[in-house]
Amino acid sequence: MRETNTRDRKRRPYLESVLSRLPNCVMIVDRNLRTINCSVAGLNILGISSVAELPQGAPESFIASSHRSIFQEAMLRAFDADADKDVSPIEVQLELPDGRLMMAQCNLAPLANPKGEIDTILISFQDISALNAAENKLDQANSILKSILTTIPDAMVVIDEEGVISSFSATAEKMFGYEQRDVIGQKVEILMPEPYKTAHDGYMKRYFQTGEKRIIGIGRTVVACKKDDTTFPIQLEVGEAKIGDERYFTGFIIDLTEKKQREAELQSLQADLAHASRLSAVGTLASSLAHEINQPLTAIANYLSAARDMMDGDLAANREFFREALQESVSESLRAGTIVRRLREFVSRGEINRRVLSIAQVVEDATVLGMIGAQERGVEFSIDIAPDTNHVFVDRVQIQQVMVNLMRNAIEAMTDSASKKLHIAVTSIDDEHVEIAISDTGSGIDPELGDHIFDPFASTKGDGMGLGLSICRTIIEAHGGTIHAEPNPEGGTIFRITLEKTGQEQEDGE
Amino acid sequence: MGNERLVYVVDDDDSVRRSAAFMLRHAGFKVEQVESGVAFLKLAKGAERGCVLLDVRMPDMDGLQVQQQMIKDGIDMPVVILTGHGDVEIAVQAMRAGAINFLEKPYEKEALIAAMEEAFKRLENSDLKEMAASEAKVRLACLTGREQDVLDGLMAGYPNKTIAYDLGISPRTVEIYRANMMEKLRVRSLAEALRIGFAAEGLEGDTGPN
Repeated sequence: MRETNTRDRKRRPYLESVLSRLPNCVMIVDRNLRTINCSVAGLNILGISSVAELPQGAPESFIASSHRSIFQEAMLRAFDADADKDVSPIEVQLELPDGRLMMAQCNLAPLANPKGEIDTILISFQDISALNAAENKLDQANSILKSILTTIPDAMVVIDEEGVISSFSATAEKMFGYEQRDVIGQKVEILMPEPYKTAHDGYMKRYFQTGEKRIIGIGRTVVACKKDDTTFPIQLEVGEAKIGDERYFTGFIIDLTEKKQREAELQSLQADLAHASRLSAVGTLASSLAHEINQPLTAIANYLSAARDMMDGDLAANREFFREALQESVSESLRAGTIVRRLREFVSRGEINRRVLSIAQVVEDATVLGMIGAQERGVEFSIDIAPDTNHVFVDRVQIQQVMVNLMRNAIEAMTDSASKKLHIAVTSIDDEHVEIAISDTGSGIDPELGDHIFDPFASTKGDGMGLGLSICRTIIEAHGGTIHAEPNPEGGTIFRITLEKTGQEQEDGE
Repeated sequence: MGNERLVYVVDDDDSVRRSAAFMLRHAGFKVEQVESGVAFLKLAKGAERGCVLLDVRMPDMDGLQVQQQMIKDGIDMPVVILTGHGDVEIAVQAMRAGAINFLEKPYEKEALIAAMEEAFKRLENSDLKEMAASEAKVRLACLTGREQDVLDGLMAGYPNKTIAYDLGISPRTVEIYRANMMEKLRVRSLAEALRIGFAAEGLEGDTGPN
């Protein structure tokens, strides 16, 4: 350092002092790419004590051979450039004398002599290995995020504290009809219909103020709005993340349109099923219904014929009886009308299609419909199908209707029960018969009613038509089976249905 | 009022029972309403004799069972049976068990009154009792083979359609035979025809072979 000092002291005394204090490695290189001077920090990094100790050809000699051309080009540009113009920085790999590798960013500053000619370049080397590693991680994190955003099946939308969208997954694009670039930077409210749209800022503000989580980590079903303004039901789960001081909210969105549709379809299927069984029961119910209507008609005929014959006598004396006869006739007509209204549910008779079916399959299928919504009502469901139960020759829909009917009754009967257990057991009772037992732990059936619960219009429920169980019996008996109810030793009721077994060889498809 | 004619109206259905009582009362009968067959059997022993208007469809004990029990308990009161529409088989069983007549609901007042009049004739003149088997046989003698077949079918409680099927003839033809048979027997109702038929079988009281 002393030798060089003597040479350059006159020319750049100021620079000299700067170089001795700079924390970075800074070198001054002449047109021949020879190092004229170097900062103390630079010497330390290189592991030498003076410029004189620099290896031959420095700085080029300690730049990795693969990066030398970049360095040379940058130097050429720097010497060509105007003295006051910065040359864009380059990144090169250094191979230090002790064998260490270091990524360095080089800033090149051309220095002009008093004549205005560029004769030297000031190069600062900054170690960016650590920086690069961090950047790599960030890049990696970004690419992971990107791949998550493009691949997760749920739509994902990230917003900041202001409700501004910062990420929008590919599925979200498809779901909402917006492109990512349409929505990034927009308020998340554009994805919401009213009244959520207006209320959302308030929701966020309330959360920041109270910390009360109404959706974060909970998830709920809400309505979202597509680009074309159509609305659709979604399941929204929101997670919160803190990055530094900033909070981000990530919304995971599942489109419920299909699920709702499926639910609706299932419901209409259920309605069809119930309807079909009502229709098919009409024929067998006809005599019961005729009887029900005959009763009031008989009463009306009694009253009116009595009234008619009173007219031949002393009408004035019989005035009160006459009024009574007419009043009663009116009441009885209305009673008949009520029955006819009930009958209207049974307009025509459905087709019965009996096939050889696996009892297990029929029962299991029925439980799908029968158990809808039961779990939500806290009903514990178990099913036990003995392997030797084989096949039955039945109308699938009708047997299922019976099952569904009994299961719905059971679930309803357990509404107020502490224990809600619905169990279905399918067992062979002998070589010819199979039994389906449906037991509940509900309110039970008044033992006085006995088998009358199967009579038409014998409803024990406030809103019932009183036809469900009679239809069940109609169906089961039409299948040559039996149905009866008995108290469940655990409390509640057990309905037992027996059906005749059929050989599997009669199988006709399905 | 010992000479008033007493009718026990036995029906579980309030409106039918009350309306029938109303009508019979205004037709000059004394009426006692009974809500079930069981209750009737309980009160009938030792009660004032009368005629019974008995509904078939009742819980616990139906009209036919009540009739059987009356015979066992020695309750000798003429019975008119009320059936639902189309309950022919039940009506036949009731007739076989000695019912005076049966009426399908709803019925005309005149038909009910006629049936009750007939029942009271029986009640007031116990000697009449059942028609003698010999007399019944004489009256049936004038029937042709087919007419007798149709009557047998009716006595078995079969509807016209079934009788037609069994005899291999059309239901329409059965109707013609049936009308001829009733004309020859000089009866106006199926119940009367059945009564002659059952009398000829010499069966009294029990349901007999079915």
